[in-house]
Amino acid sequence: MSVEELVRFDGEALGHAHHTVLADLTLGLRAGERVALLGPSGVGKSTLLTALRRRLGHHAAWCPQEHGLVPPLSVYHNVYMGRLERHSALANLLNLARPRRDAWHDIQALCGELGLEGLLKRPVSQLSGGQRQRVAIARALYQAREVFLGDEPVASIDPHQARRLLHMVQHRHATCVIALHQRELALTHFDRVWGLRDGQLMFDAPACELTLADLDTLYPDARSSDAQSEPA
Amino acid sequence: MSAERAPGLLAGDSLNLRLARRSLGLIALCLILLPFADLAVTTHDPWAELGRMLAGLLHPDILATESLPHAIALTIGFALWGTLLGVVLGFPLALLFSRSRLIRSSCAFVRAIHELFWALLLLQVFGLSAVTAIAALTIPYAGIFAKVYAEILELTPRAPVDALPEGTGRLSRFVYAELPMIWARLSSYTRYRFECAMRSSVLLGFVGLPTLGFHLESAFREGRYPEAGALLWVFYLMIASLHLWGHRRLLPWIALGSLFLLGPWPDIDGALLWRFVSVDLWPKPLLEGNWSELWQWFGEIPDLLPAIGNTLLLGLMGTAGSLVVALLLWPLASRHFGNRPTRMAGKGVLILMRSTPELMLAFIFLLMLGPSMLPAWLALSLHNGALIAFLVARHADAIVPGSHALPASARYAYELLPRLYGGLLALLFYRAETIIRETALLGMLGIATLGFHIDSSFAYMMFDQAFVLLLITAALNIGVDALARRYRPRELAAPPSQHDRPAGDAAC
Repeated sequence: MSVEELVRFDGEALGHAHHTVLADLTLGLRAGERVALLGPSGVGKSTLLTALRRRLGHHAAWCPQEHGLVPPLSVYHNVYMGRLERHSALANLLNLARPRRDAWHDIQALCGELGLEGLLKRPVSQLSGGQRQRVAIARALYQAREVFLGDEPVASIDPHQARRLLHMVQHRHATCVIALHQRELALTHFDRVWGLRDGQLMFDAPACELTLADLDTLYPDARSSDAQSEPA
Repeated sequence: MSAERAPGLLAGDSLNLRLARRSLGLIALCLILLPFADLAVTTHDPWAELGRMLAGLLHPDILATESLPHAIALTIGFALWGTLLGVVLGFPLALLFSRSRLIRSSCAFVRAIHELFWALLLLQVFGLSAVTAIAALTIPYAGIFAKVYAEILELTPRAPVDALPEGTGRLSRFVYAELPMIWARLSSYTRYRFECAMRSSVLLGFVGLPTLGFHLESAFREGRYPEAGALLWVFYLMIASLHLWGHRRLLPWIALGSLFLLGPWPDIDGALLWRFVSVDLWPKPLLEGNWSELWQWFGEIPDLLPAIGNTLLLGLMGTAGSLVVALLLWPLASRHFGNRPTRMAGKGVLILMRSTPELMLAFIFLLMLGPSMLPAWLALSLHNGALIAFLVARHADAIVPGSHALPASARYAYELLPRLYGGLLALLFYRAETIIRETALLGMLGIATLGFHIDSSFAYMMFDQAFVLLLITAALNIGVDALARRYRPRELAAPPSQHDRPAGDAAC
């Protein structure tokens, strides 16, 4: 295969200090591939993303769930934090007192695209759940890295918006790994799907070869209780 | 099948039974030791004296005190600058607190000595000056801030830090992802400490610094009760209106403005200061390295062991008394009992008791009852009991009772107390450290605890003796704190005070 592999796991065990979450993981992330990460909650999606983040280092933009934000600070400062390491401590301090003109300009444009216009000065604590998630996405986009790693970035956003946001993310990042729970989006917006269940990688296949029924096998009680799928 | 036998009195190992045994043990110990305490009433007619005081409170004479505005301004200025400098010193110490044993123990030491004792010590060098007043607050507060801020820092959520890009500097990380997350807690604790500083600043008048307490003490002592009543009202108004004038935006201006009023500033003689610190404070035999004489020197401290015994005994009595008072009084301020007027009155009484420092209460009781341990015991029990009762009532208000039909006594004993008792006892054991600190201090009023001997040693210029007594007081305090920590109900996941304020709070 000619495409460069960015990260490769070879029969590795991932987890915390005393607790293995994913055992015997074999997996590769190729450049230019858009990967959807599926699986029931608690299965180890975050663990896998964290491991990818560690391997990719400066090449990855990181979009954690909304608890990675700092609620008392404004939207502007939360987004600015995506590039905290690129400025001196003094510049960062001054920016708290008075926003940098260039950063303000960039972040204003970015937030406009994400539907957060006019909210730059508002503390994140005063935003709705959906707005907070968009702030988290804005911060990751502001990092401007090659690979986008997202831990359920579109979880509490309506399907129409979720699609638009995924487009935005994928427009700016050729390579991305995004944890999702909307199965339809995984098939329509991604090249490849990684499916996790019971601490293992159940499948790693091109999205075009998979059906919704395949994806349903990841969720033990999907067919019985979760019959209604999301409106298209 | 044999029927299960009913358990004996207080037998069993449920949490509440264990707590009940522990508290009854405390009260029993107090009762056994009570005969050793001097509880005599020596005044001729205490009730008439109380009547005269109350009459003064009802007919206050606001114009009797000369330069009252100046005294108020000084009280606020000392409190504000004492707190501010305490924060400036305490915050950096808090950052190092968990890493350095030396810092932890120095902070425990400066905390263990009461603001007024610091004032007595500093008085010898800086005289009756603003430096003495401010430093007397700043030094112990730096130790308190270091400890409490460190506790708050420990609770910083990790998620925002984890989300930062790799390579973010330490300072940037702190000001963006850590400080904002704990800012609200830090500032609410600082605000609370400022309220404590206001009370301490008033008390500084008792050692002669020209704050409100100076006029209050002389008015009470000389029986000018209308004037004393007016000063008490001024004191309560100052504390109660704190939220009006203590606004975040206003405080810097008050701080700057008070700089012009603060004073007098002392002339500091470097050589004298050095002599005081390096020679005067230390026992002569110790400086000469003569160990046998040092032993003799210790023997010459008058009534050292009785003073320690009295301090511990009064501390125990104060703790047991606070427990009883808290148990009796908390329903007064709880929504589960009485009606709106009784609750308003109950809350008012509790807030009044809680806002009046022990020293002031003890002083008033002393004038009523004469010098013995009784006024101190009453003051400790009422002040601390009311403080705990107030917090317990607030926890009680958060409980939704299962059945509304129960009579009040059953509601108290079956519905509410079992759920509140652990929290109440935890608060009491937190307070124990403060109670013993105050107990030593009350000696300054003439009660035979360590404070009495510290005060008189300073008065006789026996600085070495005063200093050693201060060290003993601090050691006693640290020891009692360790003991209280050991017997504090640990089964509760979080101490109840954490919902309102950080744990160190109950100390004021």
